[in-house]
Amino acid sequence: MPDFILFAVVALSAAALAVPFLQYLGKRGNLPGYLLIVALLVALVSTVLNAATSSTSSAPFGALLVSDSLGNLFAILTLFVTLFVAAASLTLVPSGRSSNSPFYYSLLSFAALGMVLISYSADLLMLFVAWELMSIPTYALAGFQKKREESNEAAVKYAVLGALSSAIILYAISLTYGLTGTTGIAAAAASLGSQLSNPVAGIAVLLFIVGFGFKMSIVPFHMWAPDAYEGAPTPIAALFAAGTKKAGFVAAIRVVLAISTVYSLTPHGGLFTIPNILAVLAIATMTLGNLAALTQKSVTRLLAYSSIAQAGYILIGFVIYSYGQGNPAFAQQAEIGMTGALFHIINHSVMKGVAFLGAGLVILKLGSGSVEAFNGLGRRMPVTAFAMAIAFLALAGVPPLSGFWSKLLLFTSVLNTPYAWLAIAGVLNSALSMGYYGWVIKRMYLDEPDGEDSRVLEPTSFVLILGVLVALIIAFGLFPGPVISFARDAVPALGGP
Amino acid sequence: MSYVLSLLILVPLLGSGVTFAVSSLRGGRRDASNLAAVFAVATLLVAGYAFWSVYSHTPALGQYALTEDHPWITLPGFGVDVLLGLDGLSAPLILVSGIVAVLSILSSRSLIDKREPAYYALLLLALASVMGAFTSLNLVVFYLFWELTLIPMFFLIGVWGGDRRRYAALKFIIFTFAGSAVMLLGFLSLYFGVSASTFDIPALAAMGIPQGLQYLPLLAVFVGFAVELPVFPFHSWQPDAYEQAPAPVNSLLSGILPKFAGYAVIRIALGLFPQAAYQYAWAFIVVAIFSMFYGAVVALLQSDLKRMFAYTSISHMGFVLFGAFATVLSGNPLGIEGAILLMFTHALATSSLFTLSGFVERQSGTRKIPLLGGMGPRVPLTAALLAVSSTAMMGIPPFASFLAELMVISGGVSAYAPSAITVLVPVITGGYFLWMLKRVIIDPSPPGADPGTAAKDVSRADATVVALYLVPLVLLTVFSFLILSPAAPVAQWTANLVHGGLHA
Repeated sequence: MPDFILFAVVALSAAALAVPFLQYLGKRGNLPGYLLIVALLVALVSTVLNAATSSTSSAPFGALLVSDSLGNLFAILTLFVTLFVAAASLTLVPSGRSSNSPFYYSLLSFAALGMVLISYSADLLMLFVAWELMSIPTYALAGFQKKREESNEAAVKYAVLGALSSAIILYAISLTYGLTGTTGIAAAAASLGSQLSNPVAGIAVLLFIVGFGFKMSIVPFHMWAPDAYEGAPTPIAALFAAGTKKAGFVAAIRVVLAISTVYSLTPHGGLFTIPNILAVLAIATMTLGNLAALTQKSVTRLLAYSSIAQAGYILIGFVIYSYGQGNPAFAQQAEIGMTGALFHIINHSVMKGVAFLGAGLVILKLGSGSVEAFNGLGRRMPVTAFAMAIAFLALAGVPPLSGFWSKLLLFTSVLNTPYAWLAIAGVLNSALSMGYYGWVIKRMYLDEPDGEDSRVLEPTSFVLILGVLVALIIAFGLFPGPVISFARDAVPALGGP
Repeated sequence: MSYVLSLLILVPLLGSGVTFAVSSLRGGRRDASNLAAVFAVATLLVAGYAFWSVYSHTPALGQYALTEDHPWITLPGFGVDVLLGLDGLSAPLILVSGIVAVLSILSSRSLIDKREPAYYALLLLALASVMGAFTSLNLVVFYLFWELTLIPMFFLIGVWGGDRRRYAALKFIIFTFAGSAVMLLGFLSLYFGVSASTFDIPALAAMGIPQGLQYLPLLAVFVGFAVELPVFPFHSWQPDAYEQAPAPVNSLLSGILPKFAGYAVIRIALGLFPQAAYQYAWAFIVVAIFSMFYGAVVALLQSDLKRMFAYTSISHMGFVLFGAFATVLSGNPLGIEGAILLMFTHALATSSLFTLSGFVERQSGTRKIPLLGGMGPRVPLTAALLAVSSTAMMGIPPFASFLAELMVISGGVSAYAPSAITVLVPVITGGYFLWMLKRVIIDPSPPGADPGTAAKDVSRADATVVALYLVPLVLLTVFSFLILSPAAPVAQWTANLVHGGLHA
């Protein structure tokens, strides 16, 4: 069987390494972007083929990578996200003579490569290397508009906290290695399971949660996100919300949930179990994210907080999954919950992609990302406004859009378990989120534009990208079956990887 | 399998798209309303056929006619079917929705004068989801259509409404979304709670949910209904939304949407959680009676016609709740039969009143009762229609509203004699409607107010629309069996759930 993962890695590496030379050949324009898109398409096709043929070959990476359906799901997702980010960047990122566009696309390619490798990682060291491969280019990308003060601030803040989280992960890895003598995730998880009484094992698990938590932007590790999302170029904000965040989730699924076969951090159950800790994080994340989003005046900040809140919903699936690890009676709920989480991760990428790219176009065309700029947008930029309205409704969980089904699975899975309160909190939070989603929709469609109300040109290529993404939101809503099956196949078997 | 009910949803849905596309492209002023009217009439015909098939072959106790089952999500461990069906509870509601939609579109012709393609498309979209909500027998699909109705209503209020429309629209969507979200929790808890792993209402009803698992879902579901109905203290969105919505939209907003909740109380709260509902029936009856009085008394204090009608609605929806729970308490099916008839008559009566309020506002530039005096001599036709519609709302013969209220109150008295106090509600209602009519029609115009010298009476077409709302109400006084005979098995079945055929 061909080694599809290798194809993807080679394509992305080639693009990442070759594109910068265009700078010296004087080809700045959009050529680097097109090259990256070709590379991403090749990588995407390879991963899709990998999924379609159910290939289990991870050659030549051996035990460092595992070619499974969970990896396929995240690799396809993150590549797809990078693809639309790259395509939108052609419009949103200046590509004139003085720009450094080749570097921009090269960094994007490195980040995509990192995300793909994280998705398939089966070894802690591989995971860490891939993690850095993804993170370091995004620090630079956040600060890519080097003349903008906010962009610089975003980059510095994000880089400092990102480095901190990397250090924490590395420390957790070293503890795990010390305890188990291996860096293979499966072996380490199994070995940790036999060391229940050792408090160091608990610390290692907690450190993993904290380290990955930064990228997942779960409360209280979220504080970099609003500034970084607002300061970074908007397509990069889309990449953070739809891409790198999801890499954080797959890392958490691979490592934390595998170790959660350990189930309890204290020998005899008790309060400090992994599901309990995740549940507290989930409720804090969704509630704080939504409350903060209600008070925002800038749409990118609003979206950043809404993205934090959505991570809270996703964590519900993690909670019930890790609970099911220790309680076989809840195995069915655990599977449904994890399916819901994976489905919501997919949906969230698409929905947030639309929202951020739409916001990016508004900022580019109207020169402002404040909520006032959205007044009367329904008449000024009808396609963008419609796309964003659909994305907002889907994010709020309005049927029959995609976000509804994934939330439905998530909430159904925890009712009738000790974590029923998470579903109640989730539903109330969804209602609360209508407060700000509805508020922006009201501005776009019900309010009159302030001052100028001329029609603004929406570039055709951009309209096409938004159209594809909105079509996905609606299609996943009307025909959720195939995607849910896809997500369900990717749920790791209970009882360890 | 018949496809009548799918057609009932798909015709207006298709109509929504076609109306928007064609009228946007052609741009004629009348295109949108003509097209929308055609599709609404087609929907009404389908609804009429569906109603007739339920009437002529009334399904047996606990059974449904015209059922359709389209699997939607089929996964091991999780399934959602689009299960559609009709019985004596939903058949009258789809019929009245069809009537109201047609008349609402006809009255829009003279009351709506901006962005017609989008307006009519949204109206038909709302109609499609209303039909979906009334016909779906799967909890998730029911919720889906319920939610889907809110989105077009949000835009209809927010874009075409009055001066404070944006505030009202946002308040409307937040309240109703929150309410229905809580309701959804109640639905979801049933999935793993009773190990049926299904959301189908007939399946859940057939297996009988253990009483211990009924309380929390009942509470959650009731919160959703209470917001939508609305019941005190969940009603604060409603007067604002009703006041700010354009008059033809009021017909749907106040005529149909509250019936979702009335319908769901009978179908879901009583049908799935009968023992819990029986145990706490007294509490729901107290809430219902309080709502009836609260709505009536607060309506008395309103100076705006629409706000007055809005509070009247709260009072009347209290009747529906009262009738439904009276049946649960006593086992006497009269209460539910009355509630079903009342939902039908209220939809028409309230729609005619709200439509008139639109005409009154256009003529006189205001809906404030103190500023409206002297309508009798000035605009006699409007005044006459207002008087007749008010009579229909007050529950005075020859309008079937009278019959419905009588049945509900009798049902209530048979459950618990002191609830006879509710006969005062129609008295209060009659009192403030007559007082309103006196001030608006008989009293001379107040000196300071602009009498609206250019006021023109309603056109004959508009008057016909209002009259058409009232015709079925008069006919139903004689032909009430059309509604009541299919309603009887539903009421009996619901009563039997607790009382096991005591009154059969």
